[in-house]
Amino acid sequence: MSHETPAVTERPSGTWYRNLGATLLWNARRARDVLVYSSAYLAIIAAAQVVLATSVLPLGTTLAPAVVGLVTFAVYVTDRVADAETDAAAVPDQAAFASKHGDILYVAACLAYGLAVSLALLGGPMALAITLLPGAFWVVYAADWLPGGELGIRRLKDVFLLNSTVVALAWAVTLVFLPLAFAARTVTPGVAVVFCYFFLRVFSNTELPNIRDMAADREIGVRTIPTVVGVHRTRQVLYALDLLTAALVASAVVAGYLPVASLALLVGVVYSTVVVSRVGRGADVDRLTTAAECEFLVTLVVLLVIV
Amino acid sequence: MVTVVSLLTPLLVVTVGVGVVAALLAWRERDEPGGKPLVAMLGGQIWWTVTLIFKIQAETLGGKLFWTNVSWVGVVLIPVAWLLFALEYTGRDEYLRWRYVAALMVVPCVTIVIALGGYSDLIYVENHIVTAYGAVLLVRDPGPWFWVIAGYTYLMGFLGSIPLFELIRSDALPFRGQSAALLVGTLAPLVGNALYVAGAVPVPGLDPTPIAFAVSGVAYLGALTRFQLLGTSPSPNWRARRLVFERMQEGALVVDRHDSVVDMNERAGEMFGVSRDVLGDPVRSLVPGYDRLDGADQEGVTVEIGETTYDVTSSEIRDFHDRHLGRVLTFHDIDEYVRQQQRLEVLNRVFRHNIRTETNIIDGYAGLLGDGSGEAQKVRESAMRIAETGEKARRIIEVFERGRGATESAALTDIVSKRTASARSEHPDVDIEVESVADVRVSGVLEHVVGNLIENAAEHNDAPDPRVEVRTEAGEGDVEIVVADNGPGIDANERAVLERGSERPLDHASGLGLWLVTWGVDIAGGDVSFTDNHPRGSVVTVTVPTLSE
Repeated sequence: MSHETPAVTERPSGTWYRNLGATLLWNARRARDVLVYSSAYLAIIAAAQVVLATSVLPLGTTLAPAVVGLVTFAVYVTDRVADAETDAAAVPDQAAFASKHGDILYVAACLAYGLAVSLALLGGPMALAITLLPGAFWVVYAADWLPGGELGIRRLKDVFLLNSTVVALAWAVTLVFLPLAFAARTVTPGVAVVFCYFFLRVFSNTELPNIRDMAADREIGVRTIPTVVGVHRTRQVLYALDLLTAALVASAVVAGYLPVASLALLVGVVYSTVVVSRVGRGADVDRLTTAAECEFLVTLVVLLVIV
Repeated sequence: MVTVVSLLTPLLVVTVGVGVVAALLAWRERDEPGGKPLVAMLGGQIWWTVTLIFKIQAETLGGKLFWTNVSWVGVVLIPVAWLLFALEYTGRDEYLRWRYVAALMVVPCVTIVIALGGYSDLIYVENHIVTAYGAVLLVRDPGPWFWVIAGYTYLMGFLGSIPLFELIRSDALPFRGQSAALLVGTLAPLVGNALYVAGAVPVPGLDPTPIAFAVSGVAYLGALTRFQLLGTSPSPNWRARRLVFERMQEGALVVDRHDSVVDMNERAGEMFGVSRDVLGDPVRSLVPGYDRLDGADQEGVTVEIGETTYDVTSSEIRDFHDRHLGRVLTFHDIDEYVRQQQRLEVLNRVFRHNIRTETNIIDGYAGLLGDGSGEAQKVRESAMRIAETGEKARRIIEVFERGRGATESAALTDIVSKRTASARSEHPDVDIEVESVADVRVSGVLEHVVGNLIENAAEHNDAPDPRVEVRTEAGEGDVEIVVADNGPGIDANERAVLERGSERPLDHASGLGLWLVTWGVDIAGGDVSFTDNHPRGSVVTVTVPTLSE
């Protein structure tokens, strides 16, 4: 997605109305750069995931989507700014954007997290705790300030399988339990199924960009499924995850833990399988990663149409 | 109905948001001096505010008691973090050692154990629920440990404010802004807490301290963003002053009002051959001739220590109320300077006596060779030029000696009239015109400068109608002396040499006259410039400060 159009494009010269088309295109590209490189689009997808969880369970309207969107934006922006140097090889345009606008992005992330925490307070202690969870996980996952060398603790980001597991766990907890806390509802078998669904989907989506990052990860010693088993086997692992998710959702609907409309989740799984099938077969991994991340938007649209 | 209590939750929610933003901004600068303690302090404030929100929201006595007890984790962290921040931020990081931090944390840790370990009746002796302002509120009567931790908090707050109050008077705007914002951010909750402790808060059981954290958060955000807190830090200043004192080339002694030595730098120790054990001893036992330093601020007193001569400067130290506290004595090694002075005295004698005597002898013997001999005449002229060069060198040495001593002033009218009369008598064919002379006093060194300028202008003037003009113009605190002629002018290369201030083997001035002018004006604290005259000749402008009697 990023390699075809450079992050920094030249502004059309001359009076704007004489170059209306070029000016609009230039502004559209800038907007897209900001949306993509700042991870704002991930925040939108995360908010959509919460709406998805809220609709499937169903929990009614809460502030949870806004909180999750803001937290997502904050965590990913901070991560991109912090890792701009190491990301330069794998995603040069994104890394250049993060380096150039590092200060303003960090301030924006701080404001987003501050607002998210404030909103979460209105949901009570549990909502606050869950909101703080991604930030805490991120610190444990990525921060290099822990005295790991002395205590024999490695950054979780560097530990094989545990890295994607931590990410998937943190997001599954947040996506499912935050709306639950806001709605003051208890855990049911349906909640457990939705939790597993998000865990599997996020795990799969986390490993997909790792294919793109293989060279950079190997260089800095980070072990991921693609760096350990290769691209072909990774595709098979992702197929297996899709199959497992489909079986889980179908079983839950059959058992009555989820409403029938939840079968819309299977559409997303099929969509994911199509995306995974292109892995290692000449398709641009950046495009595939973005396409996989948009799985939840497709699922949500289908669900809203059905409901 | 909208009540004070119903407005409280939104206000506290905003306070938490601002606090989180400030804490995250500070976290990014955590490696800067004071960064980590500031994050800890903001974390404590956020925790206290969050627990207050949940305490207000709790509907049962048990719930309210739980959140109150849990709040102590943040409450006790704040004063210790504040003190540590103030110490590290102002460069006193030697106190940020684990043993000191552990000692400071004893009272807070005991408080947490009391609050969470089932001994909270030591902090609060009575708990009851009241309904006021449309809300259910918890009212607790303070127990003995409450006063211990409250006193401890105020003590930490006071101690941490001391180094920041010093920064309020800093010359640097960012540091003044930083310290003012930090003090506002700290005083606001302290005032809120003091009102609560004094029973001046109308809402029963409500400690408004977390509400004041809204002010703190905004102040800290302002300090971080507007005044570059943690971006521009005064932490090196504390050590820099000490470093300058210790590493300065001059020896320095600090003497108290009882004339005892209270501090000294490394160089002073080397000079006097003593260690810091002498601190507390009378300064008279160290510094010979100390009693000559009786003025408040005094310069130019020389003392001999061992075989070295030092120029001593005494600078008085006064307190805020202008009371005498002591003085700083600095010792500047002037041995090299004294040696140069001795060499100049020898050279002065050589120029004044030996060269003049020898050139007189040459002139006399050349005269004996007979008037018709052209070679004899050339010998006499060369001897005269040597004598003139010697005379100029002697004048230069005299100028240097005058410059070393106290500045003597002279009336400019006297200088101009005396040197003009001398030039007229030596060069009667040159028209020397004096337009006006300002009635001011200038450095006595100017006599040689003005004399040389007029003499040069007259002597080297090859115009058919040789003319020299002298005029002066007084300004505010200075005077301009202009000597213009219609002679051959001053060569551009020579001007460049004078402006550069040094000569090279193939790039030098034609004699000593213009060097005398340049150095003399420099000693008088002025400037000299050389320009072309029209249609022919040169204009030399000397600007020097005027002096009193």
